[in-house]
Amino acid sequence: MEGENYKRDPIDLEVRAHVYSLVSAVGGSSADLDGRYVLGDDALACLKDLKKWLNLYDNNLNRFDVARCIADANLVRGDLLEILARWREDETDDRMKYKTALACVELLVPLTWPFEIDDTRMTVNHHTHIPYLQLAQVSYKQAVLHHDDAKILRTAIRVALPSMAEERSERSARDEGIIRIVLYFLRNVALISQPSDLAQEEDEAEVSRSATIDAFHYQDVFNFLLTMSSSIGDEFNQQDVMILETLFHLLKGVNPEKLFMGHDTFRTKQTDEFRDILRKEKDMLSGYAKHAPTRHNRFGTMIWVKREEEKVSTVSGQNVIGNADATLIKLDKQKKWNKPQQRSRNKTEEPLTNYEFDREIPLNNSGRKHLRVFIEEFLDSSFNPLFTHLRKAIEREAERVTPSHSRQYFYLVYWFLRAECTRREAIRRQRINQNQHDTSITEEESFGIVASVLNQETFVLLNRTMQRSLDEKSWLDLNAGMKCFTQILLTVQEMANSPNDEDLEIAENIQNRIFYEQTTHDRIISILRNFNPSQHSFGYLDACTELSHVFLRILERYSRQNVDLQIRTRRRIRKKRQRQQKPVNREDGGGGEEDEAFGNSDDDIQEAQRASSERKFDFTRFVARFTTQPCVDTFVHFLRYYRELDPEKLKRAHRFFYRVAFKMEQSLILFRLDILALFYRLTQGPEPLLAESNSQKAIFKEWEELVRQVFRRLVKKMGERKETLGVELLFSKIPQTMYYLEHGFEREITKVK
Amino acid sequence: ADGGADLGIDEEIKITKRRQPIAKLDEARLLSNAGIPKLRKITKERLKFRGKGHEFSDVSRLLNIYQLWLDDLYPRAKFADGLAMIEKLGHRKTMQMKRKEWIDESKPRIRYDTTPEP
Repeated sequence: MEGENYKRDPIDLEVRAHVYSLVSAVGGSSADLDGRYVLGDDALACLKDLKKWLNLYDNNLNRFDVARCIADANLVRGDLLEILARWREDETDDRMKYKTALACVELLVPLTWPFEIDDTRMTVNHHTHIPYLQLAQVSYKQAVLHHDDAKILRTAIRVALPSMAEERSERSARDEGIIRIVLYFLRNVALISQPSDLAQEEDEAEVSRSATIDAFHYQDVFNFLLTMSSSIGDEFNQQDVMILETLFHLLKGVNPEKLFMGHDTFRTKQTDEFRDILRKEKDMLSGYAKHAPTRHNRFGTMIWVKREEEKVSTVSGQNVIGNADATLIKLDKQKKWNKPQQRSRNKTEEPLTNYEFDREIPLNNSGRKHLRVFIEEFLDSSFNPLFTHLRKAIEREAERVTPSHSRQYFYLVYWFLRAECTRREAIRRQRINQNQHDTSITEEESFGIVASVLNQETFVLLNRTMQRSLDEKSWLDLNAGMKCFTQILLTVQEMANSPNDEDLEIAENIQNRIFYEQTTHDRIISILRNFNPSQHSFGYLDACTELSHVFLRILERYSRQNVDLQIRTRRRIRKKRQRQQKPVNREDGGGGEEDEAFGNSDDDIQEAQRASSERKFDFTRFVARFTTQPCVDTFVHFLRYYRELDPEKLKRAHRFFYRVAFKMEQSLILFRLDILALFYRLTQGPEPLLAESNSQKAIFKEWEELVRQVFRRLVKKMGERKETLGVELLFSKIPQTMYYLEHGFEREITKVK
Repeated sequence: ADGGADLGIDEEIKITKRRQPIAKLDEARLLSNAGIPKLRKITKERLKFRGKGHEFSDVSRLLNIYQLWLDDLYPRAKFADGLAMIEKLGHRKTMQMKRKEWIDESKPRIRYDTTPEP
């Protein structure tokens, strides 16, 4: 009974029959003409009918039945792509073929449309069909990219050309619609990727990012995108967000640094990486061999660990003999119970969405080459117009802009700024290699080509978006915002080092504006403080630690150069006023309550009375707010991944702990057993930081020295105050007792009367 | 009307087996004799450091002492888990009071001459 249920077709038989008959009426390969594709008599009407089915049945009833039937009937590969392939380049004027091609693209767009997984609207029907359809989409993409004898994407673009050629003022709504459909088709093709949780049917390399980029290059999609985006604003208006989406799905996860490496550097880098990995593996094996048993596995050694009060614990295995550390580690490992981890739905679902950008996507050589050419041309011609236009649209909250667009916008700003910085770096290195001492500044060397995102309007928008996503707890948005802000800071710093006087002045100005607002400072601290491992992904952790690292470093430099840096603080002046107004109430007992009531009743007035004032910026005071327990905990959590962190990230953590322990003299915060155990494991444990590979040698030395210094301080302090610190090692310190623990005497408080 | 049926003889007595309650690492356990008081004794007597040049071995010994202490106190949890649980307990109001007391105990006694007069 159950089995039958399972096997039964989930789709209404009649629907299936209708769709199948339509699909077979579209056309087929002819027996007379060497198997060439021949259109059915009423092909156009059939295609339109299929579109109606999709629209009126699937969309209206919120189902995926028709899409599933179409996937089963092999419409895309068998008919649509064949029809598009038939439309040759020289037949542009053939009205009929143009119309059928348009109808095909119109069908392809809904068929390749990404699935939004939204729990409130999902039905059982969706859950049955989505996995199947996702795989079907992957095969659609494969077929589109690698059609045997035609350039499908190019043909799709040709569908839009007549409408694009119209003047913007002359264009009808239908023309705009056609352009939109073609752009959506390109976006969908860029977006579809092998779902990580489903078995793969196609060869994954055929639908990979590299394959997409190659196809975009050979089929002139990049040129099309460049044309659209460079003339956005005059010729085109509504299309900006679709280009944004296409770019986002093309670039998410691609590492711009690897993109701009020369072929040879990239080769050496890859070789180095491979060597490092091999070394790592060797290290791991030799680390294991060091502790591995030297005799067979039934040798049966057992040792006692003597403990106080005549107690003993037993541990088996010969590898623990004569090594107290190993014994205790094994003792700990034997325990079966694990503390249940807090889990949040939010975090586990994140990587499944199409908007995830923290996973690095590797590219092959040709993909790298083609994308690089495109990016360079894009930066030179289209970056400023497109991003200015987008910013205005987002600010205006135009109808076509959705919340995910602003996230993609900031991610792309981050990406392109980083690409631009790397490109400049590459050019500079090339010059040095060629021994050119020509330091004259050419036009292309100025930061003008990315100027559109380095203006006050962008900062305002970025600040507002970051604050809002922090308040609304939309972490992916905040992640993109943080990345963008970090990259802006880095770019500005690069500008400040530029030989160009104009750049220098602009950089100075921008820095002043960024650092002027105290709310920015506060926000960065609160982001770092509020990291929560059960809510946030590693990518978020990485972004927030990097932001605070970069922000602190650049601010330190800047405030040292500009000793009289002023910042704008928002201060409440109402309290003082109230006190002045109601001195009598304070005297008697009930005054406090009345005061409270008074304060609550006119919140609006308070808000209005909040005034801003300027005060001198004190860097030490600012850093002191970073060296607090919650911030340290975030970095400790970051460091827990030390085996996977690259040298640059390890350095980031190192600098932070160095700042805490020595620059700010707050090593007491680090005197907590889990932190100490982590430090010990990092340097001395069975799985230490790998010191073998070249790239990590230097950073390992630095870490070892830092840990040694922290331990030295600990030992010294413990020697002085064994008993109190012995207990306090277990806990985060209480602020009031910290001074005593640090110095051994109370702070003398002098009251100002 | 009362028959034999109402005496409850015929009704089946359900025997539900109680699960053995799982020992918790809570404040009570932490403050019991095997907990912090014992730790205070241990740190006082057994912690000896060799000082400069032996930082790593000193800290290793320190960590081992804590691990064995925690194993005695709450054998169920691994060292890292146990530490996390204790750290969390340390945020409780009562624990904070206790911790302040312990710190105050060790403070050098200062006689305040200016005690408030009644």
